[in-house]
Amino acid sequence: MNRVKTFKTILWAITGLAVAFGAARMIFGLGAVSNLSDATPWGIWKGLNVVPGIALAAGGFVVTAVIYIMRREEFHRYAKITVLLAFLGYITAATALVAELGLPWMVWHPIIYWQHHSALFEVSWCVMLYLTVLFLEFLPTPLESTGSLAAIRRFLTKYKLVLVFLGVMISTLHQSSLGTMFLITPDKLHGLWYSSLLPILFFVSAVAVGPLMLILAVLTISALYRKPIETDILAKLAGASAIVLGLFGLIRLIDLAANGKLGLAFDGSGSAVVFLIEFTIGVLLPVAILSVKRLRRSQAGLWVAAIAGVMGIGLHRANIAGIQLVHTGPTYVPTIYEIGISLGIISAAILAFLFCVERFRMWETPWEDPRQAPEAAPEFDRVADVWLGTPRIAGRTVYSLVFIVALAAGLAIVSTDRIESSGIKEVRAVPARGGDTLFVDGNLDGYGVSFAHKAHVDREGGNASCSRCHHMSLPHDQQSGCATCHSGMYTAADVFRHDWHAGPDGGNLTCNMCHATDRERSAESAKTCDECHKDLIPTNAQITVKQYMAPSYTDAMHGVCIQCHEQKAQQLAGKESLARCATCHGQRQTEYLPAGVYEQFRDTSFNRVITPPMATGGQSDGKDAE
Amino acid sequence: MKAILTDVTKCIGCFECVTACKTSHNLSNDVPRKWHRNDGLSAQNWSSIVQRPDNHYVRKQCRHCLEPACVSVCPVAALITTNTGAIIYDPDKCIGCRYCMIACPFGIPRYDWEEPVPYIRKCDFCHDRTTRGLQPACTEACPNGATIFGERDELLSEAHRRIAAEPDKYLDTVFGEHEMGGTAVLYISDIDLGFLSYPARRETPALPETTHLAMSAVPPTFIGMGALMGGLYWFCKRRDALAGKDKDKS
Repeated sequence: MNRVKTFKTILWAITGLAVAFGAARMIFGLGAVSNLSDATPWGIWKGLNVVPGIALAAGGFVVTAVIYIMRREEFHRYAKITVLLAFLGYITAATALVAELGLPWMVWHPIIYWQHHSALFEVSWCVMLYLTVLFLEFLPTPLESTGSLAAIRRFLTKYKLVLVFLGVMISTLHQSSLGTMFLITPDKLHGLWYSSLLPILFFVSAVAVGPLMLILAVLTISALYRKPIETDILAKLAGASAIVLGLFGLIRLIDLAANGKLGLAFDGSGSAVVFLIEFTIGVLLPVAILSVKRLRRSQAGLWVAAIAGVMGIGLHRANIAGIQLVHTGPTYVPTIYEIGISLGIISAAILAFLFCVERFRMWETPWEDPRQAPEAAPEFDRVADVWLGTPRIAGRTVYSLVFIVALAAGLAIVSTDRIESSGIKEVRAVPARGGDTLFVDGNLDGYGVSFAHKAHVDREGGNASCSRCHHMSLPHDQQSGCATCHSGMYTAADVFRHDWHAGPDGGNLTCNMCHATDRERSAESAKTCDECHKDLIPTNAQITVKQYMAPSYTDAMHGVCIQCHEQKAQQLAGKESLARCATCHGQRQTEYLPAGVYEQFRDTSFNRVITPPMATGGQSDGKDAE
Repeated sequence: MKAILTDVTKCIGCFECVTACKTSHNLSNDVPRKWHRNDGLSAQNWSSIVQRPDNHYVRKQCRHCLEPACVSVCPVAALITTNTGAIIYDPDKCIGCRYCMIACPFGIPRYDWEEPVPYIRKCDFCHDRTTRGLQPACTEACPNGATIFGERDELLSEAHRRIAAEPDKYLDTVFGEHEMGGTAVLYISDIDLGFLSYPARRETPALPETTHLAMSAVPPTFIGMGALMGGLYWFCKRRDALAGKDKDKS
């Protein structure tokens, strides 16, 4: 059982990481842990766990329909496994949705707020109903081994057919409505994927890939627990799957051809390559393998076909749910936290799956040696003083340890720095350039302000007016530019160098020279810069330095200019325009820019970013100018 | 049905509308974040000005479509169209699925990515002001009459009047008249405004119609699938009975 243990240990570790990341996502919000953006509001959770996940869980209704409605008794041995697989698949999708929703505690709202035009409304209702149906379908299995509540088990088993019918009807609706959801994006979804037949394509691909997923699960547990594989029965299921998969491929091709979009597949673009890969591994490969009887009945053939089908259809869904949706804005690459949560949810589901396989009688066929069965309870042989089978408690110790270590590691990785910064992009400000007229362009995007420095000096009264704007130079440097201290374009920068002041090579000051003796030594209880550095401050300076954090470059520049501009706009007749942004923020000037910088800020969709100065926040204007 | 008409040729890019919007909605300061699209809109900026070459300034805000995709896809009716034509948002209903952001052909709705309790943010046509008989903050603030507020049909005829008066100055289109089924925010311009929407599809039916057929097929599919399965069950049972291997349903 070592293999099982190793496999489960890895799964527990991933789950532990995911729990840590999930906690960070709930506490600090989506922006702190994910790369989701206004351009790509749906990410890996939707594109991996939800939209493909629902398709992979379709075996629940397809195989139960085959068993109970089409009365194919030979598949009956997989009835419990397929229901469990579907149940856990839907829980996986629902959990990912909880991570993904901005307000997951409102997830029940579609029950009371109806909006029947929305495909998502329909999907959420069906998923809630179907989860209930799957729960009721699955419930008899655990009750079987407990022996209690036999009445419930008998009742549910008696009316199983009703549940199967409901399962098929509800699944048909939401599997296809999942496709309907993307009908609304004709302008965004790439032509190779957008089709008015999306609901039908989604339904057919779900019917095809559901049984393949079941085959993959059966193969995996058989390999893990060294169970003989009934290839002839699986081959029948796989063969049926291949027919539906072929139908899916055919509908896709005919639909593309009928809309004249087949050429897009060979235009050599990235999307075309993705389409060809998807179609090859998702349709051509499994259909080719499964149509050969010898391959279909071989383990290797089943493995390859099932993996290819599952991956291919998964990729198809992921393409529609995100990869091939065009967007203008930051390119989406999931963060390690998003990937961790995504994989962690899947790992937890696999663990739950293995738990059920080990504890309950999921197999209809008895084992030759009952003690070999994964669900057989381990026994303690008192005579030989050994466990027969793996004692469950032994595994639990390892798994708990791994889980806790992974959880701690996860919490350590989610650094508070990252969360507090909430993704503000650090941009270093650069000094203004020029002569009599300065070009103030801190972030080098070419959209700066041409500041007539000399004209301002003359107007304000010559050299005596410097202190209206300039407030402090660094020691031994009478020409510090604004960007020296206000070094962050949008973020405040700490300009205080403690080691320079306290170190023997610097000021060699003792603590009490700056910090009050009776209070905790902190920045708040220390002197302000201007209490000592009087010589560094111009006489009559209007701005005094009261804090060690220099406001951002944008805030500093706006703070120093806007106040005066607004006053003058009111005082002087005909100068109302002084208060307007466009008066100073004019056209782009690229001749100032170093080589290569222009390309960095070039944007194909929009010409530029304009973030206007603040009127109400109050944080930007005041501080520096106090 | 109220509307806003923006004359791109008159806009001087002074940002009075943007500032008024921020002030009237109490929106806080805005710094570039990694999740911003670069058109100036964000959770804290419900309207913006996109600068185009040669001194062109184009206001960007929610278009308040007559047949809005966002309203049709919202699973909990958190987005609704009011009788003035404004599309407004009810944060108490929202579940945060962000389907509206996927659906919007103009890419307008923005999200509070930095908040642990996030909401959708977008222009609300100053619903509280218009219901009190005032005009939206942006049109009130415009010093140059470049963006004006009024009844949609009146503004449409005004737009056509301006185009007819100076056909050399304007492109012969009122942007938003038929686009995406018509929008309440209209533009006339001397430059093409296709960049405001996703790959432009001008005279196409409104987006909600794309899902309409599929959604109306839902109840028949449900019943039909049940009937189909019932028939199949009966057929298979009968087949098994005839084949002599009559079994009870398990």
